[in-house]
Amino acid sequence: MSFSVQDIIERTRKISPVDARYLAVGIFTILIMIIPLGAGAFPNTVMIEIGFYSIVTMGLIMFMGFAGQISLGHAALFGCGAYISGILTTQHYLSPWLALFLAACFTGGIAAAVGRVMFRMHGLILAGITLALNLLFFYLVSGLSDLTGGAIGMTNIPPLSLGQYTSQNILFNYYLLWVIAILLLIFSLNLADSRFGRALRSINTYDGGSEEAAQVLGINIMKYKVWVFILSAVYASIAGSLYAHYTRIIEPNTFMIQFSALVVLMAIIGGRSSPWGAFLGAGLIVSIRQLLREFAPMLIVGPTGSYELIAYGIIMVVVLLFLPQGLFPIIKKAILKRRPGFS
Amino acid sequence: MKVNLSFAEHSKVPILEVKNVSMTFGILNVLNNVNFSVPEGNILVMIGPNGAGKSTMLKLISGLIPLQKGNIIFRRKRLNGMAPNRIALLGITQLFQDIRIFSNMSVIENVMVGSHFNAEANLLSSGLRLPRARIDEHRLFETARRHLSLVGLEQKANINPTSLSWGHQKLVGIARALATGSQLLLLDEPYSGLSGLEVDNLNELILKLKNQGITSLIVEHLTDILMGIADQVIVLDHGEKIAEGTPAEVQNNKRVIDAYLGSGQPAKEERQ
Repeated sequence: MSFSVQDIIERTRKISPVDARYLAVGIFTILIMIIPLGAGAFPNTVMIEIGFYSIVTMGLIMFMGFAGQISLGHAALFGCGAYISGILTTQHYLSPWLALFLAACFTGGIAAAVGRVMFRMHGLILAGITLALNLLFFYLVSGLSDLTGGAIGMTNIPPLSLGQYTSQNILFNYYLLWVIAILLLIFSLNLADSRFGRALRSINTYDGGSEEAAQVLGINIMKYKVWVFILSAVYASIAGSLYAHYTRIIEPNTFMIQFSALVVLMAIIGGRSSPWGAFLGAGLIVSIRQLLREFAPMLIVGPTGSYELIAYGIIMVVVLLFLPQGLFPIIKKAILKRRPGFS
Repeated sequence: MKVNLSFAEHSKVPILEVKNVSMTFGILNVLNNVNFSVPEGNILVMIGPNGAGKSTMLKLISGLIPLQKGNIIFRRKRLNGMAPNRIALLGITQLFQDIRIFSNMSVIENVMVGSHFNAEANLLSSGLRLPRARIDEHRLFETARRHLSLVGLEQKANINPTSLSWGHQKLVGIARALATGSQLLLLDEPYSGLSGLEVDNLNELILKLKNQGITSLIVEHLTDILMGIADQVIVLDHGEKIAEGTPAEVQNNKRVIDAYLGSGQPAKEERQ
């Protein structure tokens, strides 16, 4: 019995949205898993960087894209994970895995405490508070030199290990990071299509929701805002811990506002309506940065670091003008041809 | 002691009591010592010219505006100081004049938001799609489909609500409100922007809900539409209750005629 391509397309169209979601994740997983087979060490390092950013951006997309909140301070949450992991493993000699888990719990706890106060505010004031928290974190880790190593930072953070493999091995780190990223993607996609995800979308006043309408339907908007902030913080903390155990060196400048702005840019460019947008945004921005680092010195004499920022600015303006919803909706439309119900 | 009431007696038991409610915005007196009650299973219509304080009254009942003075009691429970989401859980849901449909989700998802608190799955089981979460999703979906069927929009379940007509969007709003298990619907100018046929369909639906025991408090300034379905009418003017009674009683009330037509109108008629 043979099938034409048209038959296969028709059969694919008939699968349920949930099955389609898992099918997409399955294809993505296969692609991710086979990349290192044909790539050298450099592409794998770039992919690892994309993985870190993707995890933080995925959390931010749930906070910003689903719930319509603004954060300009996610670097602090990423840094919390990195520093807590670093402190627990270098000063208290805990297992890196346990440190990763405790860092996520602690960062989530901080988010819960801060969120209860922070979400009494809206819009620009909320953005200002998150920005201030980022600065506060920077000055805290720079100032508490006994604990954090101050401006010099922390060194000799032990790597994550599994049997004989450690995260110093690029390939092991690649697979470890991407397995975690894909598991978090599945978790995020499931959540987006659950009552939790619908409640978040209902309070997203920037994208078709209404806080008042949600409240009169029984939704406790403060509770959902705090929960999504906790979740977003846990994602950032996991990425931060993985980063600390991968690079084994952390210093305060990594966790400055530039990082926060970069993940916001990734969420906007990738598309904030779906966790998939995180991978698109992170992939595009990190790739452009690598290309600029590679080719800008050939074309321009002198230091070229600031050209990245100019490129980000141009991309941001172009995307906001022509693709205000980011890349994901365009790609989704092209692939699924308006198939409803796919998140 | 449990008391069995006949339907006629039951319809006189107030589901909602508004007692001595006053409200000021700065120096503006929006509501002044307003009292009324809504008998269970009735359709109460609140009319009045623009700026009479009708929509403010609905927001006070649903908790969107904090009560400054007076008491609002729902099934013997004081709502003073209660958050809107807690009031909704008690069984009061408001439908806004501009509907505020969630345009970032499909029609059925809009209705599923209404029944979201009937689910037990927590964040972790939803994210991991554990059996409990799957059962919840199925139940919420079926509940939403039943309510969409009640308003006649089952076939539109999977489309985006913004592609529906204004009248159909209102029906989605009602289905969403009903999905909360609402016993008292607060409808803020539900007829605005509807065609003649859509008005008739909405009236039919409100009467159908009344037969199912759901009480409606409708705020409207288009009086003629409602007189056929209202059990009781309250008239507000400049924040004060100026009349209350059956539609026929209110229509012949001199203060109501003055409020709507202006006090000069009868005098003009007298001159003629």
